[in-house]
Amino acid sequence: MKKLFYYTAFCLAVIAGNSCSKIDNYPAPSDTINGSTIDEGTGATVQTEIGGGGTRVKLLEISYSANPTPEYFQSMQDGTFNDDKIFAATYKVSVEGPFVPLVTTDNTGTVTADSSQTIKLTSKATLNFKVQPFLRVEWVGKPVFNADSTVTVQVKITRGTSNPNYQQDITDINLYVSNTQYDGNNNYDPRYSKLVSYGGSTGTALLGQVITITTTGGAMPAQDVYFRVGARINAGLDEYNYNAPMSAKYP
Amino acid sequence: MKKYNYILLTLFVCLTACRKLDIPPKNIIQDPDVFSTPAGIQAYMARIYSELPIEDFRYSPQRGLNFFWIISPTPATTGEAISRDQTSSMQEAFGSWSWDIWGGSYTTIRDCDYFIQTLPSYASNFSTAQVNAWLGEAYFVRGMTYFGLVKRFGGVPIVNKTLNYTVGTSTDELQIPRSSEQAVWDQVASDFDFAIANLPAVNTDEADGSRANKYVAAAFESRAMLYAGTIAKYNTTTLFDGQKNQLCGIPSSAANGYFLKAYNAAKTLDGVYSLYLKSWSATDKTAQYQNFVNLFSDAGSSESVFVREYQYPNSVHGYDAYNVPRQLIGPNGYSSEVNPTLDFVEMFDGIPKNSNGTIQNLDASGHYLLFTNTMDLFANAEPRLRATVILPGDAFKGQNIDIQRAIYTGPSAGGISPLLPAGSRSQYPLTNLVVSATASQTAYKLPDGTLMNPAGLSGIFTGDQTCAISGFSVRKWLNPNLPTAQVLENNETQTWIEMRYAEVLLNRAEAAFELNSAGQSGATNYSQDAFTIINEIRSRAGATLLTSAGSMTIDTVRIERRKELAFENKTYWDLKRWRTFSKEQNGTIYRILMPFYSAQAGKYFFDARTDERNDVYTYDPRWYYEQIPQGAISKSPNLVQNPGY
Repeated sequence: MKKLFYYTAFCLAVIAGNSCSKIDNYPAPSDTINGSTIDEGTGATVQTEIGGGGTRVKLLEISYSANPTPEYFQSMQDGTFNDDKIFAATYKVSVEGPFVPLVTTDNTGTVTADSSQTIKLTSKATLNFKVQPFLRVEWVGKPVFNADSTVTVQVKITRGTSNPNYQQDITDINLYVSNTQYDGNNNYDPRYSKLVSYGGSTGTALLGQVITITTTGGAMPAQDVYFRVGARINAGLDEYNYNAPMSAKYP
Repeated sequence: MKKYNYILLTLFVCLTACRKLDIPPKNIIQDPDVFSTPAGIQAYMARIYSELPIEDFRYSPQRGLNFFWIISPTPATTGEAISRDQTSSMQEAFGSWSWDIWGGSYTTIRDCDYFIQTLPSYASNFSTAQVNAWLGEAYFVRGMTYFGLVKRFGGVPIVNKTLNYTVGTSTDELQIPRSSEQAVWDQVASDFDFAIANLPAVNTDEADGSRANKYVAAAFESRAMLYAGTIAKYNTTTLFDGQKNQLCGIPSSAANGYFLKAYNAAKTLDGVYSLYLKSWSATDKTAQYQNFVNLFSDAGSSESVFVREYQYPNSVHGYDAYNVPRQLIGPNGYSSEVNPTLDFVEMFDGIPKNSNGTIQNLDASGHYLLFTNTMDLFANAEPRLRATVILPGDAFKGQNIDIQRAIYTGPSAGGISPLLPAGSRSQYPLTNLVVSATASQTAYKLPDGTLMNPAGLSGIFTGDQTCAISGFSVRKWLNPNLPTAQVLENNETQTWIEMRYAEVLLNRAEAAFELNSAGQSGATNYSQDAFTIINEIRSRAGATLLTSAGSMTIDTVRIERRKELAFENKTYWDLKRWRTFSKEQNGTIYRILMPFYSAQAGKYFFDARTDERNDVYTYDPRWYYEQIPQGAISKSPNLVQNPGY
């Protein structure tokens, strides 16, 4: 009986010892894709918002299937991106955001243009995508505190593309106020931000002009805040184009 | 010798034991048990009907279909109302649904397919009429289920026969790709068309509207085709797969065909159902109000086309428990989840309004208008509004629903100026205001010596949002005869009217208006038809009638629909298919109406402002097409995800 017990115990010990010896035989993904989304006209990166609503990078791992399920990662607010947890493989990479899509189809589904980049990723790849943003939002001067502690900003909005499919009317021009630099349509203080929607071509008529916007809701609180202007047309997923956030010192 | 005995015994055991193993298991219900008797069919029907994806008393975008806990109510996602538990726009949160929209819908579709494939081999047990009617019902349920999928996801896989998997074989054949969105809408139409052709005018098993007849199928076809037409016309999101199937979006050239189908389907109900007018009177606003209230509880209503019935304790809901005004709170707690916005109330007639359509609460010199009672502002309100929304001070369950924000103690001589500058989103300044944080109030002594609570019995409290936070409370669907002790979750059985004739008429009017504006002409004058219908609806509602067909715009038709079908979980889908959700909810803070009592004037005044909580609603245009559940894509990699996810 005792012998049987030892046999059994020995067998269990061997099984247990063996089953633990293989934790995970694959190394963690450790390769990097970084780069930026660049406005083809100005050479500057295309500003966007963080948190799922802005520019993102699309990866198609075509090493195992011609039609794989896409993977995505989000761009940073300033239009640069960096992901250092990617498996080495062959990828077809593109970016999606508030600009003329890199992959366009006509109204029957035929691909008419495709400026995706295909890379064989080994350790690190830097990719820059030249795109045509729907709109360019530029600061004119700096945000100015008024006598009543409201803030006035000036911007100029122009089109970033002459593509005839993306000449829709401007639907919104918004001044966002936030106490962090992560300022945008998904993160702003509704008490002071000035949101204006436009119908018809009234918004479009402001193209190329200096637009003056003042915060709403009376005096700003005595703290440093960030300002940012976003504008959009009714194209793609209706994402906003922004200028870079700028703060103003409370007087 | 002994050895032979053993061999014989073994042979004996083996041969006899194997004799009858291949028999149907006795403990599993077999096809003949179900498909041979009307009772079996009824059981099958009960199952597939209970799985119909309809947004009833047990639906919310947050927690899904057929779930009891409705504290993030649908109207608080559409701008009809605000709620303490729903503070922003949202898409349907499939991840937290207890019923899986994708797997569940395809289970229902399989149940229908199985029924459609199997019933014909048992047809000899029944009359032809019975078999046709039941097949019609299975097609109806399948059409409804595809409808529930396509309005959420766009194109989905069409599976019109049961799939069988043999263990050990490849699953490639089961991984059916998405069809084009247009193909799925056409599938919905063809299922409903089959149902219309095969169902009788009155369902012989259940004639009370809880099971389909041919007109029920036609009514839903009018709804579905109207959705398809508006998507074809207004959608701007497109997605193609590698085979050039348009998974999201419909070519705009198809719009008129769908509108025409919607129009014709709606028209088949003409003369079969009618608007409920049992206690209506052309001259009596109170009768018009009571008539609109009764419409939702009268089991014999000529307006109810398709209903879902509840029965205690098997199938119950808790609508009243969640939504009664605070002063009628039931033993569970809750109350006041749905608080209609001022934006919604201002759509109705009979309220004094400024030239821009907002409620008139100030006099010409910019001071508050003063009222002896809060209901004076609504003295001429459209009866339908009173039957839809509990206005401050209106009567319900024998009580006046007491809604008051605070007592204003400041001077009233020469008029009271607005408490905040126009458009301000700040908190009310507390100087000159006596407020109450909770429902346990300390009475304030008025100048004449009488005592008054700072807030009403139903709110508004500054520290407890279980109250009428918008200044209004919902009235529609509430049961006025339910004793307060019975106002409990999982205890209520009012019937949900999923399809009423008013909607069929409004489907027809919208389709007619769209056809007319697209320059289409038919046997009837579309514009005139839409005009007549809107006025029928308005007349029953006690609203102001339209003067001419030419004065109508698409917004006339849409707003009428939103008023008539408010709080019936329809507006959510309307805003989606019109693609106006992202325009209406674009950094939007909804407006509220706060009643105050001026201690010095001894009168009430109203302040119109934005939601005090500053809850911002921004609808992301990606949400017009919902995200296909990731689990479904993992199982079937042929499914292409919708744009933006």
